[in-house]
Formats: sequence, C-alpha cells, structure tokens
Amino acid sequence: MNKKFSRKALRETGQGYTFMFPALIVLGLFIIGPIFYTIFLSFHKVQLLGNATFDFVAFDNFKRILEDTRAKIALWNTFKYVVIVVPCQTFLALILAATLNAGLKGQTFFRIVYFLPTLTSSAVLTLIFMWMYNKDGLINNILDFIGLPTYNFLGDPAIALNAIMFMNIWSTAPFFMVIYLAALQDIPESLYEAAKLDGANVLQRFWKITVPNLRPVTSFVVIMGIIGTFQLFDQSYIFSAGSGGPDNSTLTVVLLVYQYAFKTLGTMGYAAALAFLLAFVILVATLLQRKFSKEESLY
Amino acid sequence: MKSKKWLSALGVTSLLMAGVLSGCSSDDASSNKGNGSTEDGEKIEVSLAGWGGNPTEEKLLKQTLDDFEKKHPDIDVKYEVISEQYMDVMKTRLVGGEAADVFYLDAFEAPALIETGVIQPLDEFITDDFDVEDFEKPLAEAFVVDGKTYGFPKDYSTLALFYNKKMLAEAGVEVPKTMEEFREAAKKLTKDGVYGFGVAPELARMYWLAESQGGEVVKDNKANFASSEVVDALQPIIEMHNLDKTAVEPKEVGVNWGGEIFGQEKAAMVIEGNWAIPFLADTFPDVEYGTAELPAVDGKKSTMAYSVAYVMNAQSEKKEAAWKLISYLTGKEGMKTWTSKGYALPTRKSVAAELGYDQDELRTALVAGASYATVWSKGTNLPIIMNNFNNQFLSAFLGQADLADALKEAEKQANSEIDAK
Repeated sequence: MNKKFSRKALRETGQGYTFMFPALIVLGLFIIGPIFYTIFLSFHKVQLLGNATFDFVAFDNFKRILEDTRAKIALWNTFKYVVIVVPCQTFLALILAATLNAGLKGQTFFRIVYFLPTLTSSAVLTLIFMWMYNKDGLINNILDFIGLPTYNFLGDPAIALNAIMFMNIWSTAPFFMVIYLAALQDIPESLYEAAKLDGANVLQRFWKITVPNLRPVTSFVVIMGIIGTFQLFDQSYIFSAGSGGPDNSTLTVVLLVYQYAFKTLGTMGYAAALAFLLAFVILVATLLQRKFSKEESLY
Repeated sequence: MKSKKWLSALGVTSLLMAGVLSGCSSDDASSNKGNGSTEDGEKIEVSLAGWGGNPTEEKLLKQTLDDFEKKHPDIDVKYEVISEQYMDVMKTRLVGGEAADVFYLDAFEAPALIETGVIQPLDEFITDDFDVEDFEKPLAEAFVVDGKTYGFPKDYSTLALFYNKKMLAEAGVEVPKTMEEFREAAKKLTKDGVYGFGVAPELARMYWLAESQGGEVVKDNKANFASSEVVDALQPIIEMHNLDKTAVEPKEVGVNWGGEIFGQEKAAMVIEGNWAIPFLADTFPDVEYGTAELPAVDGKKSTMAYSVAYVMNAQSEKKEAAWKLISYLTGKEGMKTWTSKGYALPTRKSVAAELGYDQDELRTALVAGASYATVWSKGTNLPIIMNNFNNQFLSAFLGQADLADALKEAEKQANSEIDAK
C-alpha cells in the first residue's frame, strides 16, 4: 500500500516538475544563478577582459567599501533620497486617491491624467525634466516670473539630487495612487455612514477610518517604495551622463555599482560586493519597516 | 491515463525546449558561415565598429570603405555604429568574444585596454610602404606600449581659442596671446548678459593649463594634481568665475557645451576643437568668429590633442583582412578621403601637407598646435584620475570649496582607488 502510494506520489511529483521545468530553467538561469554568482564574484578580484582571471581575495572587497569615500557618498545620497521620497510619495498617493474617490465630477478623467506620468518611460521623463530644469527652462522662468530666485538645477551639487527627488515623487506617486484607489473600494460604506451619524467630520473620517483601514496597503506601498528608491539608477544616470556629478551629488549606490562593473576595468568583484551590500541594506530596511508597522492585517 | 498525461507533458516541454534550442542553433549556423568563408575565393567579411558622426562624416567614411572594397574585391566590410556608451558596449562585447574585428579606440582609453591584452599588436603586419614615420609622432605614440604598436590614429583635433569677431571689435580687444591678456580681455567682453569666457571645467580641457607651470597631473601612473604648481596654474580659471565673474560654465546659462554657448553668443570666447567648426557652420552660420592658438603661459605655448585610432581585436579570426582594412583607412589614400572635408584633421604629415589645412583660415591654429600639443592619454589610470578631478574641480569652480583643498581631497580619493585596484 505504502509502496504503491509512494509510486503514485513520485509520478505526480515528476509530472509537477515537468510542468514547472521551463519556469524553473528561466528562474534558475536568470535569477537564482546570478544571485549565487554575485556572491561568488564578491569574494574574488575579477578581470574579465583578456584572459579572464578570478583571484580569491576573501573579504578584501568588503573591506574596501569601508575606505571608499565615493561609496560612502553614494550610500548617504541614496539614504537621503529614500528618507525624503518614500514618505512624500506615499502621502501624496494617499491624498490623490482619497480626493479621486470622493465622488467628484470628472474623477475618472483626473484618474487617467494623474496616472499618465507613470506610463511614461523614466528615460524620456528625465530628458523632459532636464529641459524644464535648464537654466533658461520652464521652471526657472516660472520662478523668475513670480519673483523667486532661479537655480542651476542641473549643475549645482547642492540642488541636483533634490531635482531628481521632485521628479520621482511626481512620477511614482500616481502608481501607488492606483493601488490605494483599489484598496479604498474595499472599505465598507457602512463604516462611513456610522461615523457620519456619530457626527464625525470629513477629516475625522479620513484619519479614523480611511487611514487605519488602508494600513496593510500602506505597508505594501512603503516596502515597494523603499525597494524602488534604493535602486535609483536611470534618473541619476541620465541626469549626470553616467558620472554621478556634479560633484558626486547624484551618485547613487546602483550607479556606483554600474561604474565599477562596466567603466573601470577589473573591479567587477568590488561592484558585486557593493551590490551585495545594497541587497543587505534593502533587506534590513524592509524588516525594520515591517517591525514598525507591526500588523499586516487589521482584523 | 495518468501516464499518457505524463507523456504529453513531456512532449510539450520538449517541444518548447526544442524551439528554444533551434532558435539558438540557427543563429550559430548563420554566424559560422560568416567565419568559415575564408577559403574557396568567397568573400571575407570584416566587421568594423565605431561611434557615429554627423551625416557628412558618415558619408565620407562610407566612401572610404567603398573605395577599399573596390581595391580588395575579396573583402566585405560590415560597418556598425554604436552610438551610445561606446566603451561600455565595446568592453562587454570583448568579454563575450563578440567584438568587431576592427574598431575605434580613443587614446584616452587606450593604455588600460591594451594592458588587458585584448588588442592585437600590429608590428608583425607593418610593411615599409605603410610608412610609419609619416604619422605625427606624439599622436602615434599614444598607441605604442612597451615598444609595440597597437593602433594607428585615424585623425585628431587640438584645442584652439574661438573668439567672436564682432564682440571683440566692439569691446576694442585684440585677440589675447597670453594668459594675462586673456583674463583682461574676458573682463572687457563681459557685459549685457554676455560672458567673456565659456569654460568646460573638466580635466580633458584643463590638462594643458594644469601642467603649464611645470606641474604634473599624473606621475608614476598616479594622481598628482594637488601639487602647488598645478593649483597655481588652475587658480586663474577659478578666479575668473568667482572673482571677475567673467567665466561661465555652459550649464549655468542653460546650454550643454562650449559650441552652443559660443553659437548662441552667450560667451565671447571658448576653447574648443575642430569638431566645433562644422557644428557652428551647420547650426549657427551667422556667427562671425576666428580661431587662435591658446593663450601662452609664461611665454610657453601649449594645447591638448585628442586622437582616435583603428585597432584590431586580438580574438579576430581574420587578422590579415583586418590589417588590410586598417592599413587602408590609416594609409595615405584612405586618410585623404576621410579627412578631405576637414571634419577631421589628418594624422599623416604628407596628407596634411597635401590637403593644406595649415592654410585654412579657421584651422591654422588647430594644425599649428599639433607640434606642441599634449596628447590626452596618460597611462592606465587616467579615467579614475579624471573622474575624481572633475568632481572636485567643479565644486571649487562653483565656489563651494577652496581649490587647493578640493584637489587634495580628489587626489587622495583617486589614489586610494588606484591602490585598491
């Protein structure tokens, strides 16, 4: 009996794996394999050009991060970026979703309009913003018109990163807005009705009903936001033409990884170590976020 | 029933896999054909990779390649343009063994790439008629490492002072010949929103000035630009921006580079190379300008020279044919066609004399610079040194740090990166 059962189970397992085979191949080749390869690379000094060499150097690549000023600048820039962008875009997304769910006239139209930035490719978006940020561009003209000082957004190290932050909040918030919109549909109308009967005003209903009910979704939005912002690359790459300038002000960790992997020769191992560090930082940030938000579910 | 299902699952999967595999194998077959056709009088296909140029340059290159194919009917040249991130793409392809047989290589990147052994030394191919001596020596030497030649420069450009004739006449300023005159001229030219000098605050453009007082930017393949000679030499540029307010960086006035700032008449003088001449003719034909040699420092002339060579992939399986292509493109005939319109300056003395660019009004200053120019190529670590210099020099230029401190910081960082390599 037992034997027969195990044969059947074996056959079913075999069948299952056969069906999964194509997916497993793809996952293994393009996701799981590279992860282990990165770990392997991060402990080696790698020169890929010419006669490819892999010299085992133990923890040298990780020690090097501690002495690398640019790595510290990149981490600090990325940290600043995450700390400012994630709360701003989450809050903005929540406000946008709440207003577009209030039953205003033409809200479907505005939902579409607000969502458009997310559909635009980030490379195109960055190029358009670079024109607007130009010293003689749209934004400076407006600032000048209303009597505010103008800025050299692209060339001034003190401002360049803020310019990217603003652009990213504007383009990512609508994506999370859609997620919030979907979640808002799940909040039972009866809760609002009951609150209304108890005499709660609009703001009270928002803070006491909407926000707590959206907590699981907020948790998701924040985690996705953290992961996305820690991986900032394309915007700062296009902004600085790959250099992370002006004066390292738009240098992010992923951009630094790219520079060490593809620009400088023979630092692939160090780049892998930096990538590993970034993965670790994101993991810690996500765990911390989960710890602070405590419960995933409201009920 | 069960086993049938199992079988069909296997069937479907293997079918899928077969599709994927055959996709690969058909690719292989076609590329093998390209490689294996060296015998039987079939055509050999040599691939050539470069970055694109403007339409006129593209046409000139095409014409040169057509001429070559006519002379060598057994060789087909497959030309490919890599328009963005040329070096990143090239390095990746070299690692993957997919790089072209012949490709462009900037002198600036050359030493580091040659060191890895992916570039074929050309000495065994060179014949007497190729006439190596004919090349401008400093330009050819940028591609020689340990006595071996790895490439021949296809063209070059030096830097010259571009000045707006009308603005200089209105301000009553002569074309400056020395650094002191230059600074005074910039003061007089700065007015009504126009700046005297449009400057590119980066090492590639500042190198000649940085070394003009005897300092060395790169010493023993390490950064050495914090030395007092270099700092003193660069200080005038910082002062022109922060004290005199006569110099401006393109981004500060909303443009991308010197050619634009000059063409839009936002700056009266810029330091640019040959590439700016066709750009100005195409985009800003109404600007009247002249060129002059760069202002001398302490009576000594200097400038930069930028050069690009044709090099051969060491993994190439068609080296004989590849050499034929290189030797034609950098030979007297090919170079004459390529440089005939003045978009690029010839690196061969004989071709330069024949085409007479030293007589050309706008290019005299550029050609004159060739004899005393510093070639933009200094050892394997120049990319690291440049990156760190540019970052910190910009902050000093914008007045956010003292120049000496900024360069000291940059030098420290550059050398720690070099040591860690």
